[in-house]
Amino acid sequence: MNTHTESIKRPKYINPYFGGVLLGLLLLLTMYITGRGLGASGAVKSAVVTTVDKVAPSHAEESTFYSRFITDNHSPMFNWLVFESLGIFIGGLISGALFGRLKKLRIEHSPKISSKTRLWAAGIGGILFGVGSQFGRGCSSGAALSGTASFSFGGFLVMMLLFGTGYAVAYFFRKLWI
Amino acid sequence: MGPLIPQGIITGDWDFVIALLLGIAFGFILEASGFSSSRNITGAFYGYNFVVLRVFFTAVLVAMIGLLYFDYMGWIAMDMLYILPTYLTPMILGSIIMGFGFVLGGFCPGTSYTAIAIGKIDAMVFTGGLFLGIFMFSETFPFFSDFYYSENMGNITISEMLGVSNEVFTFILVVVGLAAFWGTWIIEKRVRKNINPYKFD
Amino acid sequence: MNKNYIYLTLLMLILSGGLFFLPDRDNTKYSNPEDLMWSIVQPTRFVSTDAIAKMIIENDPTLELIDVRAADEYGGFSLQNALNMPLDSIVSDNYQEYLGIDGMNTVFFSNDDIKADQAWVIAKRLGFDNVYVMKGGLNCWMSTIIKPLEPEETASSEAFELYSFRKGASIYFTGNNIESSSESKKTTLNITRKKKQSVAEGGC
Repeated sequence: MNTHTESIKRPKYINPYFGGVLLGLLLLLTMYITGRGLGASGAVKSAVVTTVDKVAPSHAEESTFYSRFITDNHSPMFNWLVFESLGIFIGGLISGALFGRLKKLRIEHSPKISSKTRLWAAGIGGILFGVGSQFGRGCSSGAALSGTASFSFGGFLVMMLLFGTGYAVAYFFRKLWI
Repeated sequence: MGPLIPQGIITGDWDFVIALLLGIAFGFILEASGFSSSRNITGAFYGYNFVVLRVFFTAVLVAMIGLLYFDYMGWIAMDMLYILPTYLTPMILGSIIMGFGFVLGGFCPGTSYTAIAIGKIDAMVFTGGLFLGIFMFSETFPFFSDFYYSENMGNITISEMLGVSNEVFTFILVVVGLAAFWGTWIIEKRVRKNINPYKFD
Repeated sequence: MNKNYIYLTLLMLILSGGLFFLPDRDNTKYSNPEDLMWSIVQPTRFVSTDAIAKMIIENDPTLELIDVRAADEYGGFSLQNALNMPLDSIVSDNYQEYLGIDGMNTVFFSNDDIKADQAWVIAKRLGFDNVYVMKGGLNCWMSTIIKPLEPEETASSEAFELYSFRKGASIYFTGNNIESSSESKKTTLNITRKKKQSVAEGGC
């Protein structure tokens, strides 16, 4: 492999094992401080609850689902995971700026598909992830990563099945990526 | 000693500041490791880039080993840790749906936030889909709320379920992980020979 | 490059293998005897009847009063919004739900200090924090709040201030009791249990 052209095309990412150790230590620190792990999809859920509560308050109150998350004293957005997710965004911004990846708006996709196809796939993927994360009690960070690290059986199950399914169906969607 | 917040060592006022700081560190690590690129992430499924497996698996192993040593040193009370509850069938279904979403979307929620931060439109659409998906779930929740709560096994841990101690399980996972690291390194080298290096943007 | 990875591989194996050599530790949630002994001899667990009266009048939401006497005694008379948890039932799980709620201060009381003190020791031994005992129990409550003694004329101005507070409290409690006795306030227990971060549950 030609290392010269490689270094031009490849953006500067940190060594994945180094990144993994950092992430593991961060997870440990998070558990040490808060007693629970990291998460991401919970923030979107809070956003959904807040939106529904704002747009149709009576509907939100009647629903068995939303009413669980609505309290009188504060907004569902005033939530640990929302602030943490805001942090994820800021952290990404800092890292992107630092390594020169912060550029104009763009769509990343395989040369074999159009941008439109990519956006459709991303949207559908997002919907599936949204539905799945509710049944799975968390997404890849909340359930799989933090769950497994805290020795939860459910977390381990989600991790194995999430990636297992990914491998099982990857072949059928190969055009999207390679 | 730990965990600090459940024990009341750090009071609730600091909660959100801590959340923000931990989130920033999380986002930074994700982005710096290359999780802001969906083609990077899905590379693990096609053998050309195993960065997800490396970062993710290393993080799990480090956290697990660290937690056990912390527990031994008495720095953290394991029984105060939040153990994700297990709802067997809903969780199996959920992870399979997420598996499809992962291959189609190329992100998971956390990584999509960092990708939005560096200007990926596909990540914005993904997060929009996430919002829509959770909204759809919430609206139709009454139809399958029974299923949603079915087969509740409580806050069961791996050792309670599989009958091996945490230490043994961690050791097995470390061995599996290390084998995977070396194995995927060889696979990656082979696959990359036969594939045009893809362009990142 | 590759050599470093071999070292790292070995390091991981050693670290995870080392877990097997850690001797077992007893990680029960019970507080250890010395700590317990230490806190038993501390007077800090006592809360005065005046403080309780003040908290009830001000509707302090963090106050959780627990009557540890038998159910029939509780039925006869108890403090406003107190919850009945007979001494022998504290160890049972369905009562423990009410202990150790985040941000709540649990105050035990009985006719005197003794039963409440026992309840306090049990709760403390089970690892609950923020548990207290009402000093002097209901007897003291009667003699200080409901029927306060007027201080002698030579007493300090603080004593008079305290007396006027108690007098006011007495009117508050006895007056209130007359009004609401027909509705039997005790049965409407409104324990506002804090939900355990319900938004985070199921999120990730």
